[in-house]
Amino acid sequence: MSELLQRYHPGPGPDEMVATDGSIRPAYRAFHDHISSWDAQTYMDRQAIADLDTLNSGITFTVYSDDSGTERIFPFSLVPRIIAPAEWARVERGLQQRVTALNRFLGDIYGEQACIRDGVIPAELVFDHPAYRLRMAGFTPPLGVYCHIAGVDLIRDVEGTFRVLEDNLRTPSGVSYVIENRRTMLNTVPDLFPEDRVEPVDGYPERLLEMLAAVRPEGVPADQVRSVILTPGPYNSAYFEHSFLARQMGIELVEGRDLVVDNDRVYLRATTGLERVHVIYRRVDDDFLDPLVFREDSILGVAGLVNAYLAGNVTVVNAIGTGVADDKTTYRYVPELIRYYLGEEPIIPNVDTYTGWRTDDLEYMLDHLHELVLKPSDGSGGYGIIVGPQASKATLEAARERVRAAPRQWIAQPVQEFSTIPSFNGEVFEPRRADLRPFVVTGESSWVLPGGLTRVAANAESYIVNSSQGGGSKDTWILRADPTPPGRQQHQRQEQ
Amino acid sequence: MLSRTAEGLYWLGRYLERAENLARLADVNLQTTTEQVSADGTEAWDAVIATMGAQDAFEEAQAEHPGLTPADFVIYSMHYPQSLRSTIFRARSLAREIREYLSREVFEEINGLYLSTSRPPGEGSHRALYANVKRSVAAILGLFDNTVLLTEGREWFRVGMFLERADMTSRIIDTKYFILLPSPNDVGGPLDRYQWMAVLRSASALEAFRKHHHGTVTGPRVADLLMFERAFPRSLMFSLLAMKRHFERATEHTPDSRSVRAAREIALLELDLRAADSADVIRSGLHQFLDEFQLRLGRIDEALTEDIFRGLPEATTAGASA
Repeated sequence: MSELLQRYHPGPGPDEMVATDGSIRPAYRAFHDHISSWDAQTYMDRQAIADLDTLNSGITFTVYSDDSGTERIFPFSLVPRIIAPAEWARVERGLQQRVTALNRFLGDIYGEQACIRDGVIPAELVFDHPAYRLRMAGFTPPLGVYCHIAGVDLIRDVEGTFRVLEDNLRTPSGVSYVIENRRTMLNTVPDLFPEDRVEPVDGYPERLLEMLAAVRPEGVPADQVRSVILTPGPYNSAYFEHSFLARQMGIELVEGRDLVVDNDRVYLRATTGLERVHVIYRRVDDDFLDPLVFREDSILGVAGLVNAYLAGNVTVVNAIGTGVADDKTTYRYVPELIRYYLGEEPIIPNVDTYTGWRTDDLEYMLDHLHELVLKPSDGSGGYGIIVGPQASKATLEAARERVRAAPRQWIAQPVQEFSTIPSFNGEVFEPRRADLRPFVVTGESSWVLPGGLTRVAANAESYIVNSSQGGGSKDTWILRADPTPPGRQQHQRQEQ
Repeated sequence: MLSRTAEGLYWLGRYLERAENLARLADVNLQTTTEQVSADGTEAWDAVIATMGAQDAFEEAQAEHPGLTPADFVIYSMHYPQSLRSTIFRARSLAREIREYLSREVFEEINGLYLSTSRPPGEGSHRALYANVKRSVAAILGLFDNTVLLTEGREWFRVGMFLERADMTSRIIDTKYFILLPSPNDVGGPLDRYQWMAVLRSASALEAFRKHHHGTVTGPRVADLLMFERAFPRSLMFSLLAMKRHFERATEHTPDSRSVRAAREIALLELDLRAADSADVIRSGLHQFLDEFQLRLGRIDEALTEDIFRGLPEATTAGASA
């Protein structure tokens, strides 16, 4: 056994590779056997090749400092997250269930509003929400789908259960890293892959393209549908992904200035003239989409786009107004929405959450503030968060007052421990916390990309996995139940 | 295709061609300096700066950084937008913007070129850098031909490339005008011949010249090869005809109203070039001729930009026809 892995000690939380009794979990056994022959030098050599591969692919961000022209890559670690087939099947069903319920919810709040009449969710929470778009009321998008692409952040708790941490239903990003990470792994450590047992991830662009065609406006023949990706432009941090997806799907990547609306129809400015566009996969937020309807000062959008959409002449993906459904407070209600719309128990539970909208929650919050993490419901990026166990008495008392004054602006959750994956720190493997963002594509039905983006914290102590905080990413392997499906065997024969 | 992407590909072609030509010019100047035949290397560089129209920018830069050599300015400066490094940086930024059009191999080669030139080379490794730029641009063109769909976009890339080549070759010939205009007695002498040979080498044309003329290097012969020889791939005539061919393919489906101005400029320039004669041109003023040629290339660029890349059709007309 290699020195490298012998010296690995999981932290206080659960570990994806090593079980509590110190044994290697079944999903990791083949991988563990393969990497056992490696020493630290081998690992570092391979890592250097992987980093160079990433650098050459241009998956970089620039550190602006006059003449040096420094480019950095996002940290990428060669030890993947590995998930067993049966476990993934459950996650897959759970995600389909969740996205189905969220789409039903959006159709409902912009339609009959039954959930509000039936008291499942407070009316003010929906209608006063800044992301609720009145223009969408009474409009049904093609196939009734609002969240065509969803990125749902999961963590695994101390009991080993996957829980939903957050829904991302606006313009979730990260899928290009899933595909590129796999490519880098196959280029640099092909020997680590158990033969024919890891689900491929490169089917995503095709599924996405099929979905875009499926939600085309009524009356457009399937073979004539023109889909484009709308990007805010090269200075957007996710531009690589926009460009990557356009390339993988073979469709145009456009900016707002490349499109023009006339007579409620959207056209693309081409060298030969104007060409009709039917489906827009937009990576521009609602607020910037159409200066006539939303922010007037936006130069990223297309004037008249919303009217063209509501007239049914173009489909916008994801729909406008999905932000109500991925809000921190709405999140608290998602399990109940699943029960309400589908009559089923949620397959993937939430993290316990308390909101000042509910009297029972509020009471609990105020009583247990010292053991909870308090978050402003409209905040992001970690601002205004109070970690109860680390806060002073005075801080807690002040927080309690603020919650009492405006209870609806706060949510609280218990301090959440979640699982770690071995990551190389330059000398040894250490446990680092990691989350998982699977991607769900919904047209006529919901399809889950087998895997997702595994993000890891920057060091052994951190709970924060965001790349802006120095976190990195890993490949995610979903193991196949059947090691050699017939299709693959045939393929191999052809190559010989 | 999307107008913005067409424009991006056109400029990508221009920048790559410019980078390659600058690398070749720098390489030849390095040799000239090393051989000490020209008075000194600085004059060769001054000629380059003059032909790039960058005297003012250089003087300004020198006032700010007193030690700045012309070579550093033309090759490595990130403040001078036409320098080799700036050009490669811009080519790569552009490639990122229109990456969805390029194949992975093409992008990675452009990215590799950028990464390998993002820092000034160490002492003595300049030639390796120039060789690397030339090789890398050749690789990009080869990959472009062999991995990118043959569509309108590829034609725009070529239009940009050949327009830039015509422009750069005319500037390379023009450098001779700036290098110590020979007094009549020097014409045909060793210095004169050496300078014309440097011009040939800058355009990768010395071997072609030998094969074509089997004779002494003289001004009129060099000018004839570099300006009018249809069989030489870097000549003005070749570049212009190639640009015209690619332009015609690129605009096959473009309405006349948008393509006719550029088409007219290209056709007129071609006719004038065909009607010209190298001996006449040299007698009546090579510099003026080349200057006029560059201005007219500028007009073609203007017509392409204003009418095709940025000529935004009125929404109402299209709405009516759709």
